[in-house]
Amino acid sequence: MLALVREVQIPLLALLLTAGCGAKVGRVISARSVDAGTGPTVLFPLRLRRTAVLVMCASELALGTGLLLTAGGLGGGELASAIRGATALLFGTAVGALYELRARRPDVGCGCFGELSETPVTWRTMTRAALLCAAALSTIGVPPLRMPDSPGQAAAFVAITAAELAALAALSPEVGQLMVRLGHAEPCEVRRVPVARTLTVLRASTPWQRCTPFLLSETPMDVWREGCWRFLAFPGVLANQQVDVVFAVFLMGRRVPVRVGVLEADARVTPPVTPPEDSPLQLSNHL
Amino acid sequence: MTQSLPTVRYERRAMLRAAVLGTDHQTTTASAPSVVAGVVAEVGAHAIVVRAGEREQFLTFSPSTVTWLGARVTPSALRTGDPVIVRRRPHHASTDGWTAGVAEHIWAGIGRVTGTIVGARGREFLVDTGRPGRPSEPVIIAEASLPQIQVRFPMLEPGYLLDVIGTRHRGYLLAVTPATAQPPYALGRPSAQRSGGGITEPVSGTAVWHEPDEGEGDLLGLEYPALDPESGDAPETADQGCVRLPYLSIGSVVRVRNECTGRAAVLPITGDGARGRQFCDRCVACGTSPRGRLADLSMAAFVELGGDLENGCFNATLTVAD
Repeated sequence: MLALVREVQIPLLALLLTAGCGAKVGRVISARSVDAGTGPTVLFPLRLRRTAVLVMCASELALGTGLLLTAGGLGGGELASAIRGATALLFGTAVGALYELRARRPDVGCGCFGELSETPVTWRTMTRAALLCAAALSTIGVPPLRMPDSPGQAAAFVAITAAELAALAALSPEVGQLMVRLGHAEPCEVRRVPVARTLTVLRASTPWQRCTPFLLSETPMDVWREGCWRFLAFPGVLANQQVDVVFAVFLMGRRVPVRVGVLEADARVTPPVTPPEDSPLQLSNHL
Repeated sequence: MTQSLPTVRYERRAMLRAAVLGTDHQTTTASAPSVVAGVVAEVGAHAIVVRAGEREQFLTFSPSTVTWLGARVTPSALRTGDPVIVRRRPHHASTDGWTAGVAEHIWAGIGRVTGTIVGARGREFLVDTGRPGRPSEPVIIAEASLPQIQVRFPMLEPGYLLDVIGTRHRGYLLAVTPATAQPPYALGRPSAQRSGGGITEPVSGTAVWHEPDEGEGDLLGLEYPALDPESGDAPETADQGCVRLPYLSIGSVVRVRNECTGRAAVLPITGDGARGRQFCDRCVACGTSPRGRLADLSMAAFVELGGDLENGCFNATLTVAD
């Protein structure tokens, strides 16, 4: 049974890799620019970005086709193991890259499947990459694949593939985007979202709980929206200095990403405030 | 020049966004090097001098200079005191740009009125432009232009939309050319939206222009037809208009490209493009554009991007600047 599961991974990984590269190429063609900045490549400086995109797509395509070609025993066991190991390395690197991307550019999606992957990186995307890395590792040492011996085995093959695809779909924000593309859902850029709902989501989030001690008011002084992000700015005090604490709330999905940023207050917009003498805000505080 | 509090607050939005999402603060196109807006100070056989505030700009004519004053005229038709907006080719490359230049296209006294007809009597109309707090604008259609305008705007009665370009006179606009074709419906029943599905960027459609308010002659910016109604920038009951555009806010920055000339600029959203939502027209400045108004540019921005004011529009694409 375990052997069958390990065997299933090879065509599955090959499919995902070639689909990923194909989607990226499709995005480049529709945007007519290789600098379309797919996912983690935005972390690279501009002049290296094009090379990074090409390298990424080329390796996905090469590994995908390599997995399929060596599945039947072509090239001997060492080549097959090398390609499978390289695939595991690719997905392992992806986990790290997604973590960095989430920290440095929280508004950028992973770009794994081109235009479908615009939603910001969350733990689901990273878990998916980690699982695929584990799947690739498990394929090392699998003997050459053969056609199924019996209908029972073929059925088991199909069932395992279906179950794994379902699990991956559950971890993939691309499925939601695909529904949008097919017209079954509205993209979040054109969806009307009441501010009250955004405030509820914000108040339930971790960044809000962390920042409430530093806010001077729980009523936002400015609320605005850009596409799928809504921004709310609150006056606050940090280390004896007046600041603007700004939250960014993503407008689609549940357990949405909420980011927070702090900027020195502009005296023209926020009137200066002196907190009372013995208030805890007067002491220098740590976030 | 001290800025009003709302302007400061809107400009600050870009900085706050950069602080929370970690992106670089997107800088807008700072100035319009090829646009000169002001009043004619002197007119000669080969050049004019345009005064804008304290500065004077010397512009020479060339055989290809086009002058518009209600229609195409020779530059000798210009008079001292005429308000003008000029697109020029810089004569010398200089750092501040305020040196001599060659006038490419001069528009004298041009104005535009876009809105709903609320009063009609013969050739005189009262048009509600939808700008909050502003009274309806009087428009008189020039007798010689009436057939041309009626072809594009057959229903010149209250309740229907009007969009005309003409010359500004004291207290009214003398309309000489239609800016578009009239939508076949009275106000309140816009046509169906373009098909659903995802939003493809860049969005294609048309870009139009509007006259500046007092003292904003060289402002670069645009009015956007899809401001978020929930945050108060646009009225609550605003419908979507016929182009699927992402909801943005005042202060957001977009990149507008003139598909006819290839020029592009990064511009801030300065207001609600409510009138743009009511129209679902195409622009035929160069080929036929997809339906829908993406941006209502300030006059200076429109001219800077290479548009001709008397055409009323150019084929445009719009991207949200990241």
